[in-house]
Amino acid sequence: MSRFFATGSDSESDTSIEEEQVQRAPAAAFTFSDDEEETKRVVRSTKEKRYEEITNLIKLIRNYKKIKDMSFMLSTFEDLMKAYQKALPVISKEESGQTPRFYVRCLVEMEDFINEVWEDRQGRKNMSKNNSKSLTSLRQKLRKYNKDFEEDITRFRENPDEEDDEEEDKADEADSEDDDNRIADFRKQEPSAPDDSKFKKGIDDDASDSDLDWGSDSDNDSSSSSDDDKPQHVGADYFRKTQKDGGDDEQKQIRKEHRKDRKDKDRKKKREEDDGEGEWETVKGGVAIPSEKPKMFAKDAEINTVAVLKKLGEIVAARGKKRTDRKEQIELLHELQCIAETHNLGAPVSIKIKFSIVSSIFDYSPNVSDPMKPEYWTKLLERITEMLDMLLNATDLIIADSIPEDEEEYEKPEYKLHGCVLTLVERLDEEFTKILKECDPHSNKYVERLKDEKLVSSIIDKVQEYLERKGTVSELCRIYLRKIEHLYYKFDPSVLKQKEGQVASDVITSVQVMEKLCKYVYAYDETDRLRTRAILSHIYHHALHDNWFQARDLMLMSHLQETIQHSDPATQILYNRTIAHLGLCAFRHANIKDAHGCLLDLMMTGKVKELLAQGLLPQRQHERSLEQEKIEKQRQMPFHMHINLELLECVYLVSAMLIEIPYMAAHEFDARRRMISKTFYQQLRSSERQSLVGPPESMREHVVAASKAMRNGNWTACNNFIINEKMNAKVWDLFYQANKVREMLTKLIKEESLRTYLFTYSHVYDSISMPTLADMFQLKKLIVYSTISKMIINEELMASLDDPTETVVMHRSEPSRLQSLALQLTDKVNNFVDSNERIFEMKQGNFFSRGNQGNFRDRQNYNRQGQDWGRQRRDRERNREDNRNY
Amino acid sequence: MAKFDLTCRIGQYLDRHLVLPQLEFLNANKIFDEKDLLQAKLDTLSTTNMVDYAIDVKEQLHPDTTKPQINMDGNDLNELRNKRVLILEELKRLQDADKIFGVLENDEVMKKMESMRDSKALIKFLADLADFRIEMMEDIVRLAKYRYECGNYTTSSSYSYFYMLVMPPSDKNYLNVSWGKLASEILTQEWDTALEDINKLREYIDSNVGIGNPLQILQQRTWLIHWSLFVFFNHIKGRDMIIDMFLYRPHYLNAIQTMCPHILRYLAAAVIVNRSRRAALKDLVKVIQQESYTYRDPITEFLEHLYVNFDFDGARQKLQECQTVLCNDFFLIALPNEFVENARLMIFETFCRIHQCISIQMLAEKLNMEVDIAECWIVNLIRNARLDAKIDSKLGHIVMGGQPASPYQQLIEKIETLSVRSEALENLIERKVKAKNQDPISIVWN
Repeated sequence: MSRFFATGSDSESDTSIEEEQVQRAPAAAFTFSDDEEETKRVVRSTKEKRYEEITNLIKLIRNYKKIKDMSFMLSTFEDLMKAYQKALPVISKEESGQTPRFYVRCLVEMEDFINEVWEDRQGRKNMSKNNSKSLTSLRQKLRKYNKDFEEDITRFRENPDEEDDEEEDKADEADSEDDDNRIADFRKQEPSAPDDSKFKKGIDDDASDSDLDWGSDSDNDSSSSSDDDKPQHVGADYFRKTQKDGGDDEQKQIRKEHRKDRKDKDRKKKREEDDGEGEWETVKGGVAIPSEKPKMFAKDAEINTVAVLKKLGEIVAARGKKRTDRKEQIELLHELQCIAETHNLGAPVSIKIKFSIVSSIFDYSPNVSDPMKPEYWTKLLERITEMLDMLLNATDLIIADSIPEDEEEYEKPEYKLHGCVLTLVERLDEEFTKILKECDPHSNKYVERLKDEKLVSSIIDKVQEYLERKGTVSELCRIYLRKIEHLYYKFDPSVLKQKEGQVASDVITSVQVMEKLCKYVYAYDETDRLRTRAILSHIYHHALHDNWFQARDLMLMSHLQETIQHSDPATQILYNRTIAHLGLCAFRHANIKDAHGCLLDLMMTGKVKELLAQGLLPQRQHERSLEQEKIEKQRQMPFHMHINLELLECVYLVSAMLIEIPYMAAHEFDARRRMISKTFYQQLRSSERQSLVGPPESMREHVVAASKAMRNGNWTACNNFIINEKMNAKVWDLFYQANKVREMLTKLIKEESLRTYLFTYSHVYDSISMPTLADMFQLKKLIVYSTISKMIINEELMASLDDPTETVVMHRSEPSRLQSLALQLTDKVNNFVDSNERIFEMKQGNFFSRGNQGNFRDRQNYNRQGQDWGRQRRDRERNREDNRNY
Repeated sequence: MAKFDLTCRIGQYLDRHLVLPQLEFLNANKIFDEKDLLQAKLDTLSTTNMVDYAIDVKEQLHPDTTKPQINMDGNDLNELRNKRVLILEELKRLQDADKIFGVLENDEVMKKMESMRDSKALIKFLADLADFRIEMMEDIVRLAKYRYECGNYTTSSSYSYFYMLVMPPSDKNYLNVSWGKLASEILTQEWDTALEDINKLREYIDSNVGIGNPLQILQQRTWLIHWSLFVFFNHIKGRDMIIDMFLYRPHYLNAIQTMCPHILRYLAAAVIVNRSRRAALKDLVKVIQQESYTYRDPITEFLEHLYVNFDFDGARQKLQECQTVLCNDFFLIALPNEFVENARLMIFETFCRIHQCISIQMLAEKLNMEVDIAECWIVNLIRNARLDAKIDSKLGHIVMGGQPASPYQQLIEKIETLSVRSEALENLIERKVKAKNQDPISIVWN
């Protein structure tokens, strides 16, 4: 709207907008003419045809006059001249050589208009170059042309108000009819979507306001209306017209009201009277009743399958044309269906009609990216359900894409229809997500819409049932995937109950259903994309239901990690979502390393939201273009499928804490310390930089505080920071079996704290008694024992156990400065030799690639462990191998 | 112990004839009901042509079948006898179909043939001798199969051998004949040739010549894994080979993980027994941990307790269970003593690495030994210089010797190998450079 005001105040911008208008105009021109030809397909006499052509052109000229579009006016004028030339024989026959009055009037009007514009020098200067050029040539042409009609024109000028003859009236009628359509178009939306139409009305009011404010400056007006999309433009046009035409219009307005009423009544009566093929009707006076809609059937016409189908074809043929009244189409189809039903034409015909209804409802919303209106949505659901029910009942009927339209069979079984239920349902599903995305997820409206999910699912089930009966394999795969996509993110508590034996094992849970569907897709899909999506959904579902091993194995077997970056964004999003849930699942199973590994990639970038398609982040470096934003918005997940980001982050941070803190403690003075998780480090750093650290508030602060406590080996504090009221409410209660998770966490915290404690404080002890440790960390002695043993074996802790006294004896071997430097140096030299070897091996191709290069780090460990795991033997082996190879 | 028995699972991947020895074994072991076993045996035999055997089993199954009752079962038995006659006739018919079989019966000719390695020369030789045509091979395959079905494994294997000598690997029957030959060799207990056959088959399967479908390849591998068990646990070299094949060939490890995790038992047992392959333990433990949710038995659990949880008590318990499992396993029956000895050693080694001072009492408990015997055992270990320790007999402790390595020692340890490695690398490079200078054209791989 800002542009609108700008035009009002600034004439500079005015012209630029006008140029825009010029660019836009061709489309409009085509639609007009196109439309006029397409709405009616009736045989008419040459006279009618010619006259109509002329009247149409005249109308166009009038329109252009209003928007002062000279170039188009010129071209239309040329067309008009040609048309008149063409019509000349007819005219001379009909009018006995007289030039038709309406034609003359048009010429006169044009002349006046051009003169007027020509006079207005200021206006001419402001005109675009293109326009002014056209104006000049138009002026010349018109002058020349008018000379031929001089006589008629002077006669006309003498008494311009002479009563209109038939043609004139007809033109007028056509004109008003046109307007009428527009109004209907515009009005019909009113009852359906109050908020929406109110908005539109507002704009229209603005438009007309502007007319009032700036009087004759129609440029302003047109530019403002050009801001908005088509219907508004038309509406604005209409309003302006009412203003301009003044008193005459008032009458028209009334007439239209009347007509509208009549029309409604007409519809109710189902247009029983026969008006002969729905031709334009002449209106006498202002109150004539036009029934501009095509009649269904002649009163006495026999209604049979063929007739109905023909009618259906007629109605459907208008589909997709710019100015077909979509709502009316729907109604017509409904009517047709009633007729078909009352005459018992059988299931195939009704299904066919229903099919058309459904697709015309889909067509109703003009913009692909905008969602459907709610009432149409409910209607759509009803119709589709009805259709599918019928389809399922009619067992001897096939509806398929592969049947060409001319091979349809309605009369006898097996009935054959053209059409594809599958695409219909796919479209429905997409529409549904669109609607959900449009709603505010925290409003009741969203919940209301979400209730339809059940219906959509049941529709998918029905289609599945149908396709299982009749469909091809690839269709089945597609519908299965649809079903999978409605299933995979839903949590089914009975799965876990079944695992615990609370639910009988023969109850079919969603996991089994998934298994069945996915296996079918794996086996029969040929597109690969479906299979990928099915696998990902399957993994997601397993992860959701704590089937960690299955999920992990499936993920490993799919090898998707390597190829996923080549797939489409939607699949990549699904992959990210799956990985996120895999991470959560691993966490619940106390596989902290895996959980961390899964979530690391997601969290590292700081763009989780975008990676999971749960919202757009503002971009700092460069703005998105409008189009890009639109695409990205389309990718977003509907709210009910979102994964809680705070939970994700918390799980990630806690996992990072459990891994990183003991590691930090162990390698405090290590030269080659590496960061395991950067994001966690950042959190830690930022809190260290604060001069004053208050009690933790947010989830992150809690984890940071816990990490600090753990560094000191204070497991109770750590535990309290991680598990408390606040964190429960924020995070942990989101898990299904929250208590189990908490218990697991406490246990892990204790163990890792013990490790950290030993790492940090071992140098102050000579020996520690294990029972004391067990007591300190409230762990079982066995666990303490095994934890310490592990540390000793892995050479993390320089100590050994003394069994009789149950103590850990530390081996003090504090290296001196020189010694530790020397050790570091050897490490580096070792690395150097290793990399040398690797370079050589790489050059050689993979002669030695028996897993040695890959676990380079492993080898290092072996080396440190000495004796049995030693590297020496391996090296000898390698050398031998080398020799053999050469 | 029935719960740890794998016969059922393994049986799926074996030939009927290979299952029979297992059933015999189970029969001797008496963990299952004898009647059930006999019935199972009978079912197994039902589609083979080993009628005599079937009759035997039948009579065993109904030992109380005295004369009067014979009418009831007699029908069955008669049927079998009739079948026997038919089979003999069929065999004769097949045998007489071609003249070539007469030649094959002749040992001398066979020997001569075996010495010929070239298939063309062989064909020529045969053609001279007995009017041989390539088309006859079909018959040979059929006869070999028939012989096999009748339990006449030696002949079957010699026919198969003949076939494989003559025909190229691209022949359609090649794979089937290879399997048949392997089975025959196993059943005649010719382990050396069986081992050869396994290697051949493995190469054939891995080269993917005849089998394009990954699923089929996986299946073939699974079979091979199972069939090779017979050989690996009976051949001297088998213990190394089983580790090489199952653990270090990714294809086969994958097959085990996806199709038959129960094979891990045999792999684990093989690794434990094989003292020289301790390095494989770490890899094995990883695999066991990964698959722990699909398969676990005392042997894998033993390793898990020992190397993952360091739960020596648990390991001790599992070791006890292991013994019974071993005694009741067809393949592992020969191993129990060796297994237990090695397992103990493993426990002890790990123990020593963690501890500084151990009481003999506890150690004996952990190793399932009497205190005296344990002491004796340890003394032996120390004497054989495998352990750096002293026994404190007053307190009944073992005190580990050896102080932690001083930084100096650590340093030495670390750089010890460096010079050797670098030298080797240097040598390699030098050799390469030399080769390059001598013959610059032949070096294409650089």
